[in-house]
Amino acid sequence: MAEDLRTERKGLILAVKDLPTLPKVLDEVARLVERSDSSTDEVAKLIAMDQVLSAKVLKMVNSPIYGFPGRISSIQHALVLLGFNVLRGIIVSTSVFEIMSENMVGLWEHSLGVALASSTVARAAGLRDPEEYSVAGLLHDLGKVVATVQLPELKGEIEQAVRTRDLTYIEAEKEVLGFGHDRINAWLADHWKLPPNIKEGLSYHHKPHLAQLYPDMACAVHIGDFMARVFEYGFGGDDNAPYLRPEALKRLKLKPADVEGILDHLGEQFLEISDLSFA
Amino acid sequence: MTTDTDTDASAAGYGFTRTQVVTLLTPDAEFAALMQGLWPTSVMQVTHFTRGRRAIETLFNDPPDLLIVDGELSDMPGLDVVSLVKSENVYRQLPVIYVISQQELESGRDWLAAEIDDFLARPLRPAEVRARVLLTLARASRSFDANPLTRLPGNTSIIHRIQELIDRREDFALVYADLDHFKSFNDKYGFSRGDEVLMMTARVIVNTIRSLPGIRSFVGHVGGDDFVFIVPPEVAEDACQRLVATFDNIVPSFYDPEDRERGDIQSTDREGHLRTFPLMAISLAVVFNRDGSLKHYGEASQIAMSLKKKAKENPKSCYVLDQRRGGSPQHTPGLPG
Repeated sequence: MAEDLRTERKGLILAVKDLPTLPKVLDEVARLVERSDSSTDEVAKLIAMDQVLSAKVLKMVNSPIYGFPGRISSIQHALVLLGFNVLRGIIVSTSVFEIMSENMVGLWEHSLGVALASSTVARAAGLRDPEEYSVAGLLHDLGKVVATVQLPELKGEIEQAVRTRDLTYIEAEKEVLGFGHDRINAWLADHWKLPPNIKEGLSYHHKPHLAQLYPDMACAVHIGDFMARVFEYGFGGDDNAPYLRPEALKRLKLKPADVEGILDHLGEQFLEISDLSFA
Repeated sequence: MTTDTDTDASAAGYGFTRTQVVTLLTPDAEFAALMQGLWPTSVMQVTHFTRGRRAIETLFNDPPDLLIVDGELSDMPGLDVVSLVKSENVYRQLPVIYVISQQELESGRDWLAAEIDDFLARPLRPAEVRARVLLTLARASRSFDANPLTRLPGNTSIIHRIQELIDRREDFALVYADLDHFKSFNDKYGFSRGDEVLMMTARVIVNTIRSLPGIRSFVGHVGGDDFVFIVPPEVAEDACQRLVATFDNIVPSFYDPEDRERGDIQSTDREGHLRTFPLMAISLAVVFNRDGSLKHYGEASQIAMSLKKKAKENPKSCYVLDQRRGGSPQHTPGLPG
């Protein structure tokens, strides 16, 4: 692909000003922050279910104006540092998708599923701060959302390629856009000064064996993505058989028995959130 | 300058804590009369000089709260007076309003180079002069002692606020906060990483205090890793508990992954020996003013310093409440367990 076209598209993607979300969580968060007795924990729990709100909160708290760029990877910490005033500002300025497609709703559910699965994997692997793995899992497909908002005409082309030519979503992206959402994630993470471990999870979840700095993060999100697809919780953009890189299991020292334990645990968790809907 | 209670009271009606002193440099007698007629002298005391040179020594010896300089001085360019004042660090914070003609405004000037804080263009209308003067003074008082890093009010504002509460015999809890092992963190990671922690600490204090519903509070930054905040006595302990928990939760994010994993850092101590230091913790010393028990700001800070020593004996985040009436200070661990 021509280098200047790629540069132009990257510029368009990073120029995203108005990132909409789905109305349901937004309404609920708005209601919660207006109440004087809501706790930060309550609000954080809710925001941690919505990839766009979570991304906005982390982008803001890691912006240089607050003075500690790239340090905060927890939604709860972000909310404490931003405070309810700033959070209210984010909430009132967030718009919702004018047309809420079924695929979008599916993607939101998928992201929540991967968040849940990634932290479960991290816990099973004995990693510290499993909530951070949850955040990376939640945001792992953010590039898809931003591309949809900034390059809407190409979104249709990608979906068509997935439907008619039996491509995975990321293969179709590479063909239509010239790059995948993993690359978009890396650009966004740099541009928004997200912490390096989150960036690694976002940009290497399709190729965890190549992650250099925080391979545990990339592997946990990779396995989390796989698990959410196995349980068919939400819709990640294509119906192709999910793949699992054995290197990821090896890196996290997860044995078949551990994987079984994770699957059992996740089965229960997905059942628990099965009535939850973004539509 | 002398101030008695009456003048203070009338200045307070304008939102000032004392009479404001304005130095006006202009050959324009009409403008001087206008300025002197806008406020009672108990609110705004205007000293008028018709020439620039004569005023400079007075300005330097006894800087006013506001300097108004006419561009059309007979003996020297008005901007020279401005740059004389603004080039000295001790006078820089003195706000300057520059008065220019309509033609000068139209012809444009290098506003960025001039180092003035506001301007007035002729013809001078009383309502506009009044608004500009008040706004400039308000702006200067907002920014004058703010900490350059966190923008929180600094020492002068802190002392002023505490003394004001003492004088009004209001009950309050004054909390001194500082960080344990901040120096070793700075030594190992450098000043800019240290500044990140101070910014985080400021934000945690401000938002923790704000999350207590419906109270009046104040947060100030003494400097370095020393902060203070003032809350009603009945919520002080709750505020301290929340603060300790939040700080301990967030601070590991400011270390490199290896140190965070290990839970300590290697850094050189004051004698130059390599030593292991724990992660930073926050120490809080709480002084209460109840039924006018404190008479002076100095008393509060003295009690706080002795409590702080007590708090520092605990290497973990913790708070110590002043229990002067009940005997020795109460030492409280930060978190249960």
